[in-house]
Amino acid sequence: MKRALSLILSLTLILALFTGVNFASAADDFSQEVTVQIMLHGSNVTDPAPVIEKINEYLKEKLNMKLDVIWGTWADFDQNSVLMLAGGDPCDIYFTCSWSANEYASYARNGSFLRLDDPENDLIAAYAPDLFKSIPAILGEGALVDGASGEGIYAIPGYKDFAQLYTWDINTPLLTELGYTLEDIKSYADFGPLLAAAKALKGDSFYPLYVEQGVMQRFVLNLDIVDSSLLLGLQFDTENPSQTEPIIKSVYEMPEYKAFVEKTYEYSQAGYINPVHAVAEASNSERSNAQLNGAYLIGTQVYAPGYEAQASAERGFEVSFVPLHTQYTSITSLRGAMMAVSAYSKHPERAVAFLNLLNTDPYLMTLMAYGVEGVHYTINADGLLEFTDKHNDYMPWRNGIGNITLLPPQAAEGADIWDKYAAQAEAQVLPTGTWSFDQTPVANEMAALANVAAEYTGGLTAGTVDPAVVLPEFIEKLKANGIDKVVEEANRQLQEYLANQAD
Amino acid sequence: MTTAISKRKPKDLTHVSLKTEALFHVILGGFCLACVIPFIFVIIISFTAEESIRTIGFSFTPTIWSLESYRYVFSWGDQLWRSYLNSFIITVGGTILSVLICVLYSYTLFRRDFKLRKFFIFFSFFTMMFGGGLAPTYMVSKNILGLNNNYWAMIVPMLVNPFLFIVMRTFFQTTIPDALIESASIDGAGEYRTLFQIIVPISKPGIATIALLTALAYWNEWFIPMLYVSNANLIPLQYLLMKMQNQIDFLAKNSAMIGADAVNILAQTPRENLRMALVVFIVLPIACAYPFFQRYIVSGLTIGSVKG
Repeated sequence: MKRALSLILSLTLILALFTGVNFASAADDFSQEVTVQIMLHGSNVTDPAPVIEKINEYLKEKLNMKLDVIWGTWADFDQNSVLMLAGGDPCDIYFTCSWSANEYASYARNGSFLRLDDPENDLIAAYAPDLFKSIPAILGEGALVDGASGEGIYAIPGYKDFAQLYTWDINTPLLTELGYTLEDIKSYADFGPLLAAAKALKGDSFYPLYVEQGVMQRFVLNLDIVDSSLLLGLQFDTENPSQTEPIIKSVYEMPEYKAFVEKTYEYSQAGYINPVHAVAEASNSERSNAQLNGAYLIGTQVYAPGYEAQASAERGFEVSFVPLHTQYTSITSLRGAMMAVSAYSKHPERAVAFLNLLNTDPYLMTLMAYGVEGVHYTINADGLLEFTDKHNDYMPWRNGIGNITLLPPQAAEGADIWDKYAAQAEAQVLPTGTWSFDQTPVANEMAALANVAAEYTGGLTAGTVDPAVVLPEFIEKLKANGIDKVVEEANRQLQEYLANQAD
Repeated sequence: MTTAISKRKPKDLTHVSLKTEALFHVILGGFCLACVIPFIFVIIISFTAEESIRTIGFSFTPTIWSLESYRYVFSWGDQLWRSYLNSFIITVGGTILSVLICVLYSYTLFRRDFKLRKFFIFFSFFTMMFGGGLAPTYMVSKNILGLNNNYWAMIVPMLVNPFLFIVMRTFFQTTIPDALIESASIDGAGEYRTLFQIIVPISKPGIATIALLTALAYWNEWFIPMLYVSNANLIPLQYLLMKMQNQIDFLAKNSAMIGADAVNILAQTPRENLRMALVVFIVLPIACAYPFFQRYIVSGLTIGSVKG
């Protein structure tokens, strides 16, 4: 009798507990006004007040909520987002992606981000039913990650340029002046005569080839990114990326890398490359100088649809982009910009509802990305967008906000820009699919190796050091710091993923 | 022994041989140059035309001089002056409050008749040894104390500096005789009158020193604004510059991963000469303020209340 009583009592207690939980996660009927805080990346905003006012006016009516934006910049986002997540800040939505400090996959794994399609509490089904229907399916697949609450979606992917395409950036007027055509742009090893002709025409202080650290080697070796220090690479098939052999290699030990740095050294000794490119911090501004002034013949550019028009308008001469391969999508490019809901969010329902609206409602998206019509921009007779002077007060990072294909095209982009974006959906997918390298088992090795790479790659990429001397030393240091273990771990993870996919 | 002393003239006490003197002058002169040259270089770069930097790099003798970076800084208008104003507000407000707290705290520690003296010495000393770590500090400051996007966020975290308490207490101990406080109390002065009308006026050199250190710390601080302030209207000048530098570092690290967007970030990044012009703007007020403090330090050293 006593036992039965205690059983009943404990059962009621447990039941009460469950109902309590159920009450807590009861559906949000939007009857209460809440404030949702969002942290963006890359903002350059000095006067958000007029925009926020309009946004809140609209959101009050649509979702009975207010938006509070933290305008994270390129300078402070990494530090602050990591601190806020570590400290359990009540901020609701964070920008995340494959390259920021709050990297999507690892923060989904450590439980910082909420699973949005949790079968227990499927926020996407309840508050964002149409979102994934409005973007290419591949983006949804890219968002799948094996996180803290099982495999699922932990962030809403933004729709921006997501297909990967490496192109040579060509100064077309100069090329024509030299008597060559775009047909003559073939492979890196064949650039010699073109560069020599440009150098002869423009004189000693002219450097016809600009190199981008960490980019040029990927171009020449057809590498897809595996880790942000670029120690590992997946050499893809240039004709049919989907036929790529799924083997991760140590980039700097590849024979092709040796051939590449030897060629680079040859070009650099002939005076085709500005030695300043050996220093990462200075290289970027030098590259920008070269581009804006047309002080180059051949450079590198990771392509985005419609970029020719934009680049030509910016630089004031005709810029051409010559593709090196068939475009493809990989996990890095699919996770280029996303929005995750924090596990500490007090209003995850409203946060998801807001993200849904942001990614499906052109009015809200345009307001967020470009500001107020008539103040920050105007729409011209052709339906194209032109910025006003006020634009300088409000320049968030457009591509880091949401679905950019909802926006009115800019005059520099052309009316058909979003068709070009839509065409990306046809790009082939690498066989590595949605696999991403979990670096935690080899975190110490990765940190040490990144330092080693930082020491050597600058000089090798710019051709300021002799690879015959430096490369063997570099490889030896990589070996000493455990590159083999890292490569092995990466391949083990990849094989495991592929085996799971085959099931 | 006695004869040796009597023979030496008073000026001999500071007399060194001409050779040694010349050597010291060369060493000290070289040291001064090493301090000044980088700053002169910064000024030269700020007046260098972009074309010159592009063709011959940084140089003491640029091919083309130009005012363009300053013209550009002035054309920025609002952001620059607002950041300037913010820097002044934070520095002046922060220094006054911080020095006040420092004097009050260290004077209490100095008074031997204060019962809890030992405890408060330990209390401040302990924080010098052990900090809370970045993340907990950040959470307490931001979410509990509300130091988020306001001036207090940039003033409060640096208000209390135990190191300066110790400096100030030692200063009191070495310059203020107990007899002075005793005589003040005999004359009927209360504690506040004793401190502010008797102790503070004769402690000017010590106070000027900690004020200078505090002001410099406030003026140069960029990490705290980075943590707690995201409103562009509130950021101080030093952080404005740091932001540009961080952006360049960020780009150097990540441009390979970002792809086409890197070009847009580059477009927002000011050129070298502009950054150097900003450095000039940052250093100028401090360089101007320094002689002012120096005057107090020097004059303070020569004044005393109890002549020996």
